[in-house]
This record gives sequence, C-alpha cells and structure tokens, in this order.
Amino acid sequence: MMDDALRALLLALGDDELIIGHRHSEWTGHAPHIEEDVAFSSIAQDEIGHAAAFFSLVADIEGSDPDAIALGRKPDDYRHAILCERPNGDWGYTLARHWLYDTADDVRLEALEQSAHGELRAVAAKLRREERYHLLHADMWMRRISRGPVEGRARVADALIDTFAEAVAVFEPLEFEEDAVARGLLPVPSDALRARYVERTTRALDDLGLPIDVTIGADRAAEFVASAAGDLIVGDGTNFETRDRSSGAGGRRGRRSEDFEALWDEMTSTYRENPGATW
Amino acid sequence: MTYEEKLANFAGHIEAGGKVEAEDWMPDDYRRGVLKFVEMHANSEIMGALPERECLPKAPTLRRKMSLAAKIQDEVGHAQLLYRVAEDLGKRRDAMYEDLVTGKSKFHNVFHYPVAHWGDVALIGWLIDGAALVTQAALRESSYAPYARVLKRICAEEQLHLRHGEDITLELASGTDHQRWMFQDALDRWWLAIIHFFGPKSNVEKDLLLRWKVKTRTNEDLRAEFLDRYVPKILELGFTFPAPVPVEDDGRWIVRDPDIDWAPLEAIKRNRGPETERRLEWRRRMYENHRWVREAMSEPAVHAA
Amino acid sequence: MDVYEVFRRHGHKDPFEHCGSVTAPDPDMALLMAKECFLRRREGEHLWVVRRSDIHSLDDESLLEPAGDKSYRFASGYRDVIAKREKALARVRSMREKERTP
Repeated sequence: MMDDALRALLLALGDDELIIGHRHSEWTGHAPHIEEDVAFSSIAQDEIGHAAAFFSLVADIEGSDPDAIALGRKPDDYRHAILCERPNGDWGYTLARHWLYDTADDVRLEALEQSAHGELRAVAAKLRREERYHLLHADMWMRRISRGPVEGRARVADALIDTFAEAVAVFEPLEFEEDAVARGLLPVPSDALRARYVERTTRALDDLGLPIDVTIGADRAAEFVASAAGDLIVGDGTNFETRDRSSGAGGRRGRRSEDFEALWDEMTSTYRENPGATW
Repeated sequence: MTYEEKLANFAGHIEAGGKVEAEDWMPDDYRRGVLKFVEMHANSEIMGALPERECLPKAPTLRRKMSLAAKIQDEVGHAQLLYRVAEDLGKRRDAMYEDLVTGKSKFHNVFHYPVAHWGDVALIGWLIDGAALVTQAALRESSYAPYARVLKRICAEEQLHLRHGEDITLELASGTDHQRWMFQDALDRWWLAIIHFFGPKSNVEKDLLLRWKVKTRTNEDLRAEFLDRYVPKILELGFTFPAPVPVEDDGRWIVRDPDIDWAPLEAIKRNRGPETERRLEWRRRMYENHRWVREAMSEPAVHAA
Repeated sequence: MDVYEVFRRHGHKDPFEHCGSVTAPDPDMALLMAKECFLRRREGEHLWVVRRSDIHSLDDESLLEPAGDKSYRFASGYRDVIAKREKALARVRSMREKERTP
C-alpha cells in the first residue's frame, strides 16, 4: 500500500545518505593523510548503512527490497538534496560539505526522534548516535583548519560560502510535506528546521572565526533574503525554473544537477545489467 | 667492538633464529634491505586500494558496497601499519610518499593492471588476497620483529578478505551465465599477473633478504603452495585457465617455466604497467594539491585566543 | 606531527594492551585516528594514546635479567609439593598407629 507522505520522507532521508555515502567512499585510498583515509571510510560506510535502514522501512511498506530501492530507480526518482551528488572536489570542499551536511543531518534527526512513526523514531535515535561521531570528526577538522595556515582556512571558507545555499536546500519542503507534518511523521516542518540550521551553522562558523557572508552576490539570483528581523529566509521556493542552476535546490522534487547522471550510471550499472541476479 | 665483530655477532644471532627490534644495532645492508622491502609492501597496500576503489562505485548491493569499502579500508589500514614500521626504521612518511608518486620506489605488479567489472572484485578478493596471504603468512617468521608483529594483524584481516572474496566468487559461480562469465573474464585477464606476483625463482645465494631471514621461504615454494591450494578449487567451480595453464605433476599443481611470459613483469619493474602512469599521476596531483592539508596537520593544536 | 602509541582495553579482566601507533598533530586527532585504526572491530571499549616521547625505557635491558636464583617467585619453585605432601601424610599415618597401640 502506497503511503506517499511517508515514502517521500523516507526516500529523501535514504537518498541523502546513499548519495553522500557514495561520494565519501570515493576518497578511499586517496585522502591526504593515511589515518584520516581510514577514518573517513568508516563515515562513508556508516552513511550507506543509514541509507539501508531507511530503505528497509520503505521496503516494508512496498513489499520490495532495499537494494531495488537503492539501485533500481531511474535518475528522476531519486529525492536527495543536490548537495549530496556534487563531486568530491578537493579536501577543502569535502570537509566543508561534510561539516554542513552532518550538521543538517543532526538537526533533522533530532526532530525525527519525536516522529509519530515508531520505527522511524527508533531508526532516527540509533542513527543520531553514529552521526554524533561524524560531527565530532567534522568539528575537529574545522577547528584545525580554521586555526591553521591561511591557505587552508581560505580554501575551506571559500568552499563554505559556495556551498552554503546548497546545504540549506537540504531543508527544502518535501513532497506531501503537509500530510507528513499533520500526521506527525515529520514533527517539525522543513521551514522551521531550516531556520534552526541556519542559526546553528552561522553561530558555529562565527565561533570558528570563519568569515561567512551567506547573502549571495548581485550576479546570482537571490536565494536568501534578509528579513526585517535580521534572519535569513530562503527566496520563493516555487519558481525553480528561474533559479540559478547551481543553486542546488529542487532535489526534493526530483530535480537533478549535471553531476548526477554519471554517478547514477556508475552506481547502478552492475545492478541494472543483471536484473534478478544475487550477489 | 669493531664493525666486523658486531656484524659477526649479528649474523650468528640471525642464524640462531634471533629477532631484531627497531632500536637494535643492525648492519647497513640489513637496515636498507628491510626498509626497502617494508616500504614496497606499504606502497603495494596503498596502491592496491586503487583498482578496488575503481570497482566500489559499481557494487551491486548495499551490503556489498559496505563490505567492499571495509575491505579496502583494511588495505589502507595495512599501509598505515607498514608505513609506521618503515618510518621507525628512519625514513619519513612524506619522503616515502614522494618516492612512490615520482616512480622512484616500487609496488607489487598486480596493482598496475586495470579493472573492468564486478568479476575483478571477486578475483582480487579471492585469488590475489589468497596469493598475498601465502606470502604474508610466511613473513610472520621474519627476523625483523616489528614487521612480523604487524603481519600478524595483516594476515588475520587478509583471512577475512579471502572469505569475503570467496563469498563473492561463489555467488558468481552459481549465478547467471553472465555472472559466471564475469569471473572467467577476470581470471583470463589476471592469471598471468598472479603467477608473476610470486616473482621468478629465488636466488638463494644472492638474495639478501633470505640470507638475513627477513624472508624465510623462496618464491617458488610460495607459488607452489598457492597453486596446490587454489587450482583445484578453481577447476572444481568449472572455470578454465589461460596461459600459463597449471598441470598436475607428481600429485602437485605446477606451471611450467617455459609457459610463463615474463615480459609484462619486466615492463612493470620499470613502472610501465598498463595503469601505472595514470594511477601515479592521480596520486601525484592529489599529493601536490593537498600540501595545505599537510601544513595544517603539522601545526600543533592552536587554541582560540 | 608526533607518533602516538595506542593502548586499548577490552572488558574488565585484562589491563590495557599496546596495539600499535599513529602519527597525528595533537591528542584529539590521535584518539580519533587510533579509534579508526585499532578499534574497528570492537577490539576494545577503552582507548589511550600516549606520545612516544613520553614513554621511557631502559638503555640497558640486561638489567632485567635476574642475577641469582629467584625460583621462589615462580610456581615451578614449588614442584616438590607432591613429595612433601606424601611425607606429611606418612607422618600422620605413623602418628595414628602410635595412638592405636599404646
């Protein structure tokens, strides 16, 4: 039986974890410090495990299996935030994204620990314990880089500025969100989570001494508007077509960037080429 | 004590099965020989991660995605353990890394080859790790104790990798025609490289590492053990061998020396394997681009004012 | 960057054991790296890292060799317990015999 609101919520959560886990795992064997290579691989494995947990819940509703959900869908059917599908770039981008994403994940998991859906509540609580370690890792690196030589600080600061809008788009409203909120599946609406996230990250970045100006320059469509009260509001969330392509929004409605096709093709190729096979 | 006297004592100690620690006195050729050997092993582990990580994005299930990532993580972990042993012998990590990416130091032949598909994951996990386990188990008797100690852990993890590789292989062997083809195709491409992995016949007189008991068994002996263990299993699963085809000889499985084409190994010794330049170039670029990370890591902890 | 030696403890019956080393720029990073390098399979629930430079050892380990007979510190120094027990039991037997035949 199809429960649209629950499915949309679980796919958003699972797809974020799967796609970012996939990207993180691409660092294995290459990270700039060998012990860190080992550490970051654990984080990648955790994210994929989290995806499996969310997809298991979907599989229970649909009567399918988590691998089919993870690897058997068309590119248009994925619901992750565009932030997750971006290539790894260099270590500065990777750190910035890791920190921004895991902070977002903590904000939403905190809310989901109060979900009306018993199994989702249990999964959220369990995952949040592992994510605590991811945050510790990200914070430790951010502290080291932000207090270190100027080149590292500049690279990470630039990456944070460039990526912030996409990170905030993690909290774009989901499909069927009204229903999810009304039923308590998503106890806190995306808008409110977004506000919490912006407040938390700007405060943390301030503490780190990283100068972040999150208002976007005049040459790009305004994604953020400073409200009269001095806080940041995401621009009109409905007119995706007029937005700057690199704004990173639209993921929750299945909009993908130019980076996803190659990722999807590679990630699903063995699975697609051998339908019904066991591995 | 003169150098000659120390050397004689040391030789006697090794002959009697004695072990050497990092802080002990050792002759220059022992130190250099062990360092080069351990460095090559460390390089091989970190380079070995590359072919497998090229297959990781294509893993066909979530569980295999995680288990393969964990396996590759172990290999990087082995590199970490081995680089630490080499560092304690007196060579800095960045110096070893620079020598690797500039092609001055070497790594095992098998990691110079391309990978094509999931069949390669099965083969590498089962047969290449199987080959590595044969050689590494023997190295646990090494006279250089810090190396022998990390090998204990490395071998335990390789045992696990072997089971993982065999697990994947058995699924392919019992799967669709295309899945069986995947393993056979990988075997056709990798078999010669696996034979090369053990190296040519050891020169017991001239091999410094055998003399100093850093290595304790000859190349041909290790290769024979591998063949006896794995050839029957591969045949039993209904797969066939490309050249050099193993044959039965007096109850043992062997490959005949004239059947082995050593030319590809010669190219690899000059760092001219099919994937050598591409993979080293990738590492070079990453290394150069991340100087700022090494600099940030070199600072002691800076606290907020 | 320093070398940190890593120690882990599993459960409560055995003390911390040395398991290897990591290179790291500070203790926090060393702990995190050590967790990843040495506790991936739950080989322990407790973790220490110590800068190698804080570890001390003897310049001359021959000082650790015992000079005289210290067999009294080992169970093997008490191997004649069977003979001694037999001797004690024989004493008791002869004592009992004397009691029976006044």
